[in-house]
Amino acid sequence: MTRYRLRDEPGVAVELLNLGLACCSLEVEAAVGSGALASEVGTERSPDSTVLLVSGTVTHALAPAVLRAWERAAEQGPVRVLAFGACATSGGPYWDAPSVVPGVDALIPVSRYVPGCPPGPDSLIAALRREVA
Amino acid sequence: MSRHGVIALIPEDCTSCMLCVRECPAWCITLESHTEQVDKADARRPRTINVLDQFTIDYGLCMYCGICIEVCPFDALEWRGDVDYSTVSRVDLDQGMDILAAWG
Repeated sequence: MTRYRLRDEPGVAVELLNLGLACCSLEVEAAVGSGALASEVGTERSPDSTVLLVSGTVTHALAPAVLRAWERAAEQGPVRVLAFGACATSGGPYWDAPSVVPGVDALIPVSRYVPGCPPGPDSLIAALRREVA
Repeated sequence: MSRHGVIALIPEDCTSCMLCVRECPAWCITLESHTEQVDKADARRPRTINVLDQFTIDYGLCMYCGICIEVCPFDALEWRGDVDYSTVSRVDLDQGMDILAAWG
């Protein structure tokens, strides 16, 4: 789990739990690389928001790990879940595959869906801002 | 950083030919239409046209590949808007004709 600060909302610290399960996670790294998300290391201040970012295909094999990550975060306080990309939203191009969960909302409550395959880093920032600001 | 926005429909240009529906790799487009007979005085056989009833894109499945836009013979689909599109509910990603035509 990494803590970030949104560049355009400097007052808001977001604890981002990045569940990068497939290629969408590269867009998350691109968002960090673009400077729109500044990582915050070693601050004592508790985060304003905790966001569980599910980016990528949720397979049945990974489902228990996703559920556990959410449960662990939810024990600490309220968690917002971002379903980032078509796979996390609906199963995406693999919705009919028997090994794929057709959307992470079958496991955990999702607060926002970001469409795209993949959505770009700017879509991630826009969705994060809507969610936490 | 500027990329594609969303895919918009121009309903009056759509002939319900189904090419986009069939070419879509994500199977995210649904199209409903019916045929109507056209009265033409000099027609030697009954002439019909397709009338579009409903056109939806499920953005929960859409890969934004743009194949539907490329394949449309009548340019009834186009890129529009910006990248800030997300919803708080899954069903809201399934957009019907009215919204596809209106968003800017």
